[in-house]
Amino acid sequence: MASGFFTDTTLCIGCKACEVACKQWNQLPADGYEFSGNSYDNTLELGGTTWRHVAFVEQAAPIDAPLTDTKWLMMSDVCKHCTHAGCMEACPTGAIIRNEFDDVFIQPDICNGCGYCVPSCPFGVVDLIAPADYDAPRGFASDGRTNDDATQQHGGVAGKCTLCYDRQKIGLVPACAKACPTESIQFGDVDELHVRAKKRVEQLGARGVSSYLYGVDDHNTVGDLNAFFLLTEKPEAYNLPARPVLPSTRQPAGYTAAAVTAAALALAGWAVFRGRG
Amino acid sequence: MSTVQLPPQPGESDRGASSGDGLPAHAPATYYDRPLLKKPHWEWEVVTYLFLGGIMGGSGILVMIADDRPERDADLARSARYVAFVLSGACPLVLITHLGRPERFLNMLRIAKFKSVMSMGVWGLIAFSGPAAIAAAGQASRDGWLPKWVAAFAPRAVTNVLGGCIGAFMAGYTGVLLSATAIPVWGIGKRHIPAFSVCSGIAGACAVNAAILALTGTDRTRHRVERLELIASTAEYVLLEVFRRHAGATGDPMFAGARGQKLRTFTQFAGILGPAALGLLPFGGRTKTLLASGLTLFGGYVLRETLIEAGKASADDPRAASRQPE
Repeated sequence: MASGFFTDTTLCIGCKACEVACKQWNQLPADGYEFSGNSYDNTLELGGTTWRHVAFVEQAAPIDAPLTDTKWLMMSDVCKHCTHAGCMEACPTGAIIRNEFDDVFIQPDICNGCGYCVPSCPFGVVDLIAPADYDAPRGFASDGRTNDDATQQHGGVAGKCTLCYDRQKIGLVPACAKACPTESIQFGDVDELHVRAKKRVEQLGARGVSSYLYGVDDHNTVGDLNAFFLLTEKPEAYNLPARPVLPSTRQPAGYTAAAVTAAALALAGWAVFRGRG
Repeated sequence: MSTVQLPPQPGESDRGASSGDGLPAHAPATYYDRPLLKKPHWEWEVVTYLFLGGIMGGSGILVMIADDRPERDADLARSARYVAFVLSGACPLVLITHLGRPERFLNMLRIAKFKSVMSMGVWGLIAFSGPAAIAAAGQASRDGWLPKWVAAFAPRAVTNVLGGCIGAFMAGYTGVLLSATAIPVWGIGKRHIPAFSVCSGIAGACAVNAAILALTGTDRTRHRVERLELIASTAEYVLLEVFRRHAGATGDPMFAGARGQKLRTFTQFAGILGPAALGLLPFGGRTKTLLASGLTLFGGYVLRETLIEAGKASADDPRAASRQPE
């Protein structure tokens, strides 16, 4: 049984309770107090210690356009927990695993911070945690953190959404879904969520709102996403790739090209070294 | 249907369509132009590793194809064996320093994973260092620096072929490692980048070994090494041009602007055309070889540096990252 998120962007009110609940439960450092000027989005992107990110898409209509042309969309972004995960395939240490809930999990005590997963994620989710994010003098025991939390925050390793592996283990709903006041973030069995999401698309269609599911039956190389989305705009508007590609699919062509080139040059060299002069 | 007149909405069917379809004309194509992908955190350590790994692998290939008879290329085989051995020791050190947690390098060795190019590379490096060390010990024995009996345990027929085949992998896999990421400019070069990495590695190995031959005053085989260097460099130049045309706008982070100018000036002009032009001069001798080698190596380093920097710039372009190359 695979567990995952169905994030229905038509229900999101942009309260960022998911971001806060995630930071709090996972004991992740704050992102600072910078104003971006990009609507209400001061989080800007997912990162090593930012595992939920609410995007605010403002599309003001021209002055002469009907008022309904103006859109203000919100979407809580998260690690997609891909069926075929680029980060997991790239990881040379086996730190990135698929756990018993079928979710992609980084074991912080195995990760050696090589950083290969970072450019290997087709969605730009995973990132390295800078060592400075850990406040060393506080010590681990005094503030009640487990060793794993401390390792994660000590930095030098990769970080991303764990789909609240620890909460799932004891039967709790992930912190973001628990905190979401509108059920924009729904947690559950992915197959059940698919059924629910398809009904929602039909329901919205009957009300004249055109929507689609992102990450379900897309027939691309990353496969279905365990964390999928109901969107009303193009993927690009939310900073999601319109056509994600599983990076490892390029390996056969690459190895072949290298082998052919090496063989050709070796032959040329053999001719040079065995030839006259 | 609703009584409210709604603007055209993007439906399931037009998700893959070009920008503007089914959207109000004012709809932005990106999210505040924010990067969609994350940049690699790799700095000079990785650039240096790509550069040295190419020379190391190329030296392995040189040992395999050189004619190891005293009156032919024995001097080249000797120097290339030593170069391969020294670099097989230096490369892991450069790699380890770039890890976020260097003390956990051993975690790389807990698994071997065919799908992870980096895992294959680590094991390739280990597999290369064995034959390279044995071959260097055998060479040292024949050179009188180690006891005579050592050479008997270093059969050249075995170490030459192993070093050559694993060396070819080491020279090329770094290109595969880059193109097997989501970075658009690397992905679109899935064939070109591994191919010109091999060329640059072999050219660099020729340059290093030609310089060593020039410095040690062994002239018998130097002109043959320089001839192979010219062949490899020419192939590299052609592949870079083919890649530039193939990549189109996706290749701009590598070929346009100041970065492209740097690649053209230092790699293509100074690093490839420069040594080729020097080779045409009817005079020069050892000084010419040293100069040509220096130019080739400098161009090779700039190529790797440009490749890494271009990858970082490419990750910042949400338009290129949205439709990732197959």
